[in-house]
Amino acid sequence: MNRTRRTFLQQSGLALGVATLPAWFMELEAAEAAAMDRGKLAEVALAAAKKLGATYADIRINRYRTESLSTREKQVQSVARNQSFGFGVRVLCGGAWGFAASREVSESAIRRMTREAVDIAKGNAAYQRKKVSLVPAPRVSAKWRNDFVTDPFDRPLDGKIQFLLKLNERAQSVKGVNFVSSSLSFVNEQKYYASSDGSHIEQYIIRSYPSFTVTAVDMLKGDFQTRSGLGGPQGMGYEYLDKHDWLAEAEQAGNEAVQKLKARQIEPGKYDLVLDPTHLWLTIHESVGHPTELDRALGWEANYAGTSFLTPEKTGKLQYGSKLVNFFADRTQPAGLATVGYDDDGVPGQKWRLVKDGLFVDWQTTRDLAAQVGRKSSYGCTHADSWGSVPFPRMPNVSLEAGPSNATREELLADVKSGVLIFGDGSFSIDQQRYNFQFGGQVFWEIKDGKKGEMLRDVAYQARTPDFWGALDALGGRGTYALGGSFGDGKGEPGQSNAVSHGCPVARFRQINVLNTASRAGRS
Amino acid sequence: MISEKEARAICEKLLSFVTADDAVVGVVSEDYAHQRFAANQFTTCGVRENLSVGVTVWAGKKRGAASTNEVDDVSLRKVVAEAEQIASVSPVDREYLPSVSPQTYQPVDAYAAATAQYPAASRARLVHDVIGQCEKQRVTGAGFFQARGTGAAAATKHGNFSYERSSLTSLSLTARTPDGTGSGYFLRNHYDITRLDTARVARESIGKAHTSREPRTLDAGTYTVVLEPQAVADLLGFFRFAFDARSADEGRSPFSAPGGKTKAGEKIFDERISIYSDPWNKELPGSQGVQGGLPAQRVHLVRNGVLETLVYSRFWAQQKGKEPTPGPVNAILESSEPPASVEEMVRDTKKGLLVGRFWYIRPVDIRTLLITGLTRDGVWYIEDGKIQYSVRNFRFNQSILQLLAPGNVERIGAPERVGSSEAQGGDSSLLPALKVKQFNFTSQSEAV
Repeated sequence: MNRTRRTFLQQSGLALGVATLPAWFMELEAAEAAAMDRGKLAEVALAAAKKLGATYADIRINRYRTESLSTREKQVQSVARNQSFGFGVRVLCGGAWGFAASREVSESAIRRMTREAVDIAKGNAAYQRKKVSLVPAPRVSAKWRNDFVTDPFDRPLDGKIQFLLKLNERAQSVKGVNFVSSSLSFVNEQKYYASSDGSHIEQYIIRSYPSFTVTAVDMLKGDFQTRSGLGGPQGMGYEYLDKHDWLAEAEQAGNEAVQKLKARQIEPGKYDLVLDPTHLWLTIHESVGHPTELDRALGWEANYAGTSFLTPEKTGKLQYGSKLVNFFADRTQPAGLATVGYDDDGVPGQKWRLVKDGLFVDWQTTRDLAAQVGRKSSYGCTHADSWGSVPFPRMPNVSLEAGPSNATREELLADVKSGVLIFGDGSFSIDQQRYNFQFGGQVFWEIKDGKKGEMLRDVAYQARTPDFWGALDALGGRGTYALGGSFGDGKGEPGQSNAVSHGCPVARFRQINVLNTASRAGRS
Repeated sequence: MISEKEARAICEKLLSFVTADDAVVGVVSEDYAHQRFAANQFTTCGVRENLSVGVTVWAGKKRGAASTNEVDDVSLRKVVAEAEQIASVSPVDREYLPSVSPQTYQPVDAYAAATAQYPAASRARLVHDVIGQCEKQRVTGAGFFQARGTGAAAATKHGNFSYERSSLTSLSLTARTPDGTGSGYFLRNHYDITRLDTARVARESIGKAHTSREPRTLDAGTYTVVLEPQAVADLLGFFRFAFDARSADEGRSPFSAPGGKTKAGEKIFDERISIYSDPWNKELPGSQGVQGGLPAQRVHLVRNGVLETLVYSRFWAQQKGKEPTPGPVNAILESSEPPASVEEMVRDTKKGLLVGRFWYIRPVDIRTLLITGLTRDGVWYIEDGKIQYSVRNFRFNQSILQLLAPGNVERIGAPERVGSSEAQGGDSSLLPALKVKQFNFTSQSEAV
């Protein structure tokens, strides 16, 4: 997105009546100058890398801006803006990678760091057992921005502060609520990518994340319960704040936090589960998103994130779930947090199937992963979370397709004799090959004889991935479909953070093992 | 890496641009290098240099904060102006306290130039040697080496200035057997690379891979366990955040007590256990400053099993008429009795399990510090004082309060410098091996 100087000034310092014009003005001039120079700076890196013997090179010159506001009860705890600007050069020499990055965006620094990247690659190449190669990517010259309406960085702060304080006030209007904390977080990535393949790509990405947690305390008993917001982050602009009734949800959260203090503890055992999209997205993330990352299956993440129970020879053979289960990977999904025009290999965003009618059919790939397994092209899953981070395989949006009927949540409940209805994500944990998992939630309701019953507490379920998805026997229709997601999916060494979304309808699972977490800690 | 003189110049320049009533400014520079490998070959390797500044101002007690990594004069003016602009539209900060006046610090020696400047050729050679060990002993190695040097300074409008350097290096290795049934892991870190025992990392990881092969299936349930220091570090990662006094006073902490009280002063842990922070520990140097510039001191969180200290922020201390807590800046768990080795713990175990590492640990219930997670990279069944065979991994649901409670801790080892595996060695503690009577495993995992 290109903003003119006039709109910039209107929407920032001047609009707020702050006497900071000279500094803003000079910053703007500097930013515009830097924007004009990026192609030239990229050529410095690419030419130097080629001269030094690199068979492939790319450079990313990126600016990352964040704005974060946090409050508790009636007070503002923090309002902060941060930005980070720099470049990273990646080279292939002798079949080995090298990478070097600096915040100093100048021709001399780019020359210096390109040489450093080449030296690292050559040093590694001397010991490399198997050469890295890349499948081809199209040559691209493009500008792209994600599909937001209002850039949150153009909106004044006082409206954001009032949004949070009103949310807190609404939650605290509920009798029995003791504390509420809330926050707004906005991210803007301004990315420039150029490669020795001849690609030049500019991208402007906005993401927004309102969140809150309400706490009710029973001081006499020394007990407390919390209820966090169900909205989650989205790849949207400021308009996201108008697309959800946050105030109503804050009040509901307050009521539910208070109700949780007196809710009945779950009796451990096997239950049918009906999982709302505000909960199920995280189970999809952990039990489908990560196992279908090809780098894990090849052992590249064995030291940290782990491997996968999926292996290349299981492609097209392993039954992942019931026939109703269809998963897509999608880097083009509207409002998706991992939606991009192009990945950090310069490969266009795409949509493809991972699981079809319950059968595992495909992987998440990058240019080097695709070459490892004899593919001819990449699905475009390369991503770095900063100019200073090495691009590597990261998860696209992975979503569960809605059912063919227009089934509602109530219709799914109707066929449950004894079960639990779960909203919101809570505690989550899964093993390093993505078999055994345990998930909590925010709010749990008993399902009895086909209807939603009383509130339950201290619930978590444990399952094994193929068994769990095999137990899915009903899906809600498009009308129940919603997108959940995370700003902070961690992976890699050094650790990197990825924003990713997962869409799904409400879904029903038969006879899943449910724990009472309080009894595990001797509280019941 | 930024020198004290350069850092002071940037801080002074930032403060000179401040028109607000009060300000805290800071600068952090980092030189970072890493070498990653998997499937017995290099994967991603690189270096990064960065320097960022942060500004927090209060104008009429209204707070604003901004940071940037562009440090030319225009950008420094801009970041101060941005913080002041934010303050101008913010409500009054009800928790404002004036920034600290000049303080006297007792320096901490946490920096080794050999670590911060470890060259690329040496990094490649070090990892090549580890891969060579893996190949020689017929395992597939994946791992991570990192080295960093950091310089950080902070200054306040009320005249305080502090500068510290630190360094950190770590090596971790996961070794997997070709049949896919055995896996071992070992991680160590240090601020001084000459004291990082890379040969031990390779030896222990590869050894665990071979001895964990062909695991048998054991029912989930409650077992006596011997936890190696790595496993203890993985378990206690969330523990350090539990000592906040404000949360305890507000009734939403594991250390809250009925009737609006706290458990401070109660013996809630095994009486041999003491947990403390010591900025000047030679093996685990901490930081000279805490809480916006207060000089760090030695702080006992737990002494002989008694919850001695809850951590008061400057604001909460003022509200409660207490002194702000000058820590913690690191974590050391020690026993009052002579330490036992892991071998001794195994020897005096009738039936139990030896655990080397836990993984994917997440809080389930903060009231009891109930956490869940899994064993990873080797679990071994002990009977009659001997390791009998390896067993499949388990999921656990375990309260940390119960883990360390009186009557549950049987033996305590000598503290070792370890980092949690989920933090990739980036955090450090001095933690011992533990033998505990009851540990709750709730299901099996077939993952290797």
